[in-house]
Amino acid sequence: MSYQSAIVFGFNEYAKQIAMQIAPEYLSFAIFVMSESERLAAKAAGFEVALFDLGEDWKLIEEQFDPSSLIVFCALEKDAENVFLTISLRSIFEELPIIALAGDHESAAKMKSAGANKVMATQQITANIITEMLEKPTVTEVLHDILYEESFLKIAQITVPENSFLVGKHLHDIDWGEEYDVLVLAIVDHQLSATFSFTSKGHHHHIDPDDILVVVGYEDSISALSEAMGVVKWAK
Amino acid sequence: MISRWIVGIAFFLHASPRYRHIKKFFYNLLENPNYPYKKFFDYTMMVLIAISVYILIRHVKHEVNQDWLFFNNYVISFIFLIEYLLRFWVYSDNSKVIIEQYEHDLFLQRPFKLWNVLHNIFMTKMSFVFSLPAIIDLLAIMPFFHEMRLLRVFILFRVFKLFRYAKSLQQFVSILSSKKFEILTLGVFATVIIVVSSVLIYVMEANNPDSPINTLFEAVYWSVVTIFTVGYGDFVPVTTEGRTVGMAIIVAGIAVISFATSIVVSAFTEKLDEIKEDKMIDDVSKFKQFYLICGYGPLSAQVAHRFMKDGKQVVILENNHKKVAEAQKEGLVALTCDPASLHSYHALRIDFDTQVIAAILLEESDVLNVYTALTIRELSKSVQMLSILLHQENRRKLSLAGINEIVYTQELIGLMSKEVSGRPVAFEVIHALRSENSGVFIEEIVLDSIMSEQFFETSKLSMFHKRLIMLGIYKQSSQSFFFNPSNTLVIEAGDVAIVVGTRTLIDEFKALVRRKKRL
Repeated sequence: MSYQSAIVFGFNEYAKQIAMQIAPEYLSFAIFVMSESERLAAKAAGFEVALFDLGEDWKLIEEQFDPSSLIVFCALEKDAENVFLTISLRSIFEELPIIALAGDHESAAKMKSAGANKVMATQQITANIITEMLEKPTVTEVLHDILYEESFLKIAQITVPENSFLVGKHLHDIDWGEEYDVLVLAIVDHQLSATFSFTSKGHHHHIDPDDILVVVGYEDSISALSEAMGVVKWAK
Repeated sequence: MISRWIVGIAFFLHASPRYRHIKKFFYNLLENPNYPYKKFFDYTMMVLIAISVYILIRHVKHEVNQDWLFFNNYVISFIFLIEYLLRFWVYSDNSKVIIEQYEHDLFLQRPFKLWNVLHNIFMTKMSFVFSLPAIIDLLAIMPFFHEMRLLRVFILFRVFKLFRYAKSLQQFVSILSSKKFEILTLGVFATVIIVVSSVLIYVMEANNPDSPINTLFEAVYWSVVTIFTVGYGDFVPVTTEGRTVGMAIIVAGIAVISFATSIVVSAFTEKLDEIKEDKMIDDVSKFKQFYLICGYGPLSAQVAHRFMKDGKQVVILENNHKKVAEAQKEGLVALTCDPASLHSYHALRIDFDTQVIAAILLEESDVLNVYTALTIRELSKSVQMLSILLHQENRRKLSLAGINEIVYTQELIGLMSKEVSGRPVAFEVIHALRSENSGVFIEEIVLDSIMSEQFFETSKLSMFHKRLIMLGIYKQSSQSFFFNPSNTLVIEAGDVAIVVGTRTLIDEFKALVRRKKRL
């Protein structure tokens, strides 16, 4: 599902960085803040800004955006406010994808309970990256290039179409590296569960329509594979 | 003339690298607890003491081989004598005292006063001779004159020498010495009670023919046995007056014992934190390699736990007592000291170049992290440093302070947000690999010459093929990453393979890729 619009709640250092990264990706983008000082700062940074308070009934969102193609990022300063914001949004918009920031594990669990689709626990992420940088510097560099840099090597998720030649085959029937010069890291098998499983775990996955393959490879190779699979567009 | 001669010798010795080297060696061996070879010397001395005491005990009822007696009376005593003389020598630096006095007098244009210097030297050396450990040392040498039977008892003083070699015994003495005043008060109190009660019991009992207490010594003996609540019962008062005194002494005895117990307990309680800290510093100085985290907070705790999960040792330095206590409660090695102070590192005896894998700066402000980084850089130019960055505008300052890696979480979260909204599943997959909670790991294997030769052959084994994902090879020579490499790629020692798989499979692959060559 690709979204047309996005909202970032808050304008602290985290929110600012999120806004800078995602704003160019969406047709309409806005920042919602709670204070006048934040509003002025966001405006000065060149973003479209609106004021809100936590007791909002969110008519504001319904008026400006189409909730069915909207994604929101809750990045307020305090975890408690973020939880309240998440639960408040979820009470109105049942299907809205909500990505929330949390300081620690405890808050992350609360955000999940409040209805966030994805929670990014900042401390955990920072701790992971610090240990990885020191223990596995090459892994960090390679993953960073794959994920964030404009390199030819990409990570992509490809949804298997109904009429694809892959349907009915097992994941391990195909030598992905040899035949397509891509590596399949994981698969989301809708018949087994909604979450992904790593191919390295050695499960004998039977590929069904709508399964999602998470592949790493050069852009051209991924395109070639997608084409062979009958996919029109893949998420890169 | 003599003065000039003595000053000349002093200058010669002071300038002689050989003399200074030898003196420093003996100083380290005898007095420096951080000298790595001191423990061997200490253990040797402890063994000699044990042999000495064993021979003394054995000699009471059995014949002891003449060789052993010779060894005990002459060899051990001689070793102890040498040790005593060496300690006497290294206790102070005479040449330095002479030179300082000479230069001082020269500066003030006064004649050099030799007698003043000799007096100073004599007084310094006497302070050694009359120190308790030196007296014990001297008495321990006494059995040298073994013909004097009484002097054999002085062998027991060799046991007291253990205080010199066992750190825990030294600690015990230092703890008790912090309560000198209380112990003195107790001593005075107990002495007064003993004297008064001895005299009283003697007066009450000595003239009674039925009483076993007939002499003043017996009265003192009874008092001591009673006041310290032992009460053998071999001497007991028989008169009513004597028994009344006895009752009073028993009550006083309880007071003495309680007082003594409370002194020892309170001394240990007060010093407990210090003892623990000392122990921890000792442990840290023995760590072969560890990550040093400067500053403690929730992030530090997470980082430390992750390293510990991988079997790495972590030491945390934090200025705030409460935070240190929190870290210790979490099972982490944390020390209360300022990570930005040079003094802290000297006190902790941390060797950055050999012990510290990397210093991780996680203070709550960029200012503190820069300050700490500069302190560490002063101690080591090469140690790897990583710091978190709290405000983007300070990035360059952190780089200038010598920090090798900078983590700006906010930017990272921004990049991840883009990822999570565009490719949520791919993001989840990478996040799961990084967090290492899914049972599947992304690992780098540094290839040595054996591994590089056998790499492709092993990776094609059915056990690994399709289950262990060979993401690619990072070539050190070209500093480039080769994704999904074919076996035409020439792998050299030092290149890094990046693989994705379960822990068991990765470990098995590592073992096999090494083993194959040997077969």
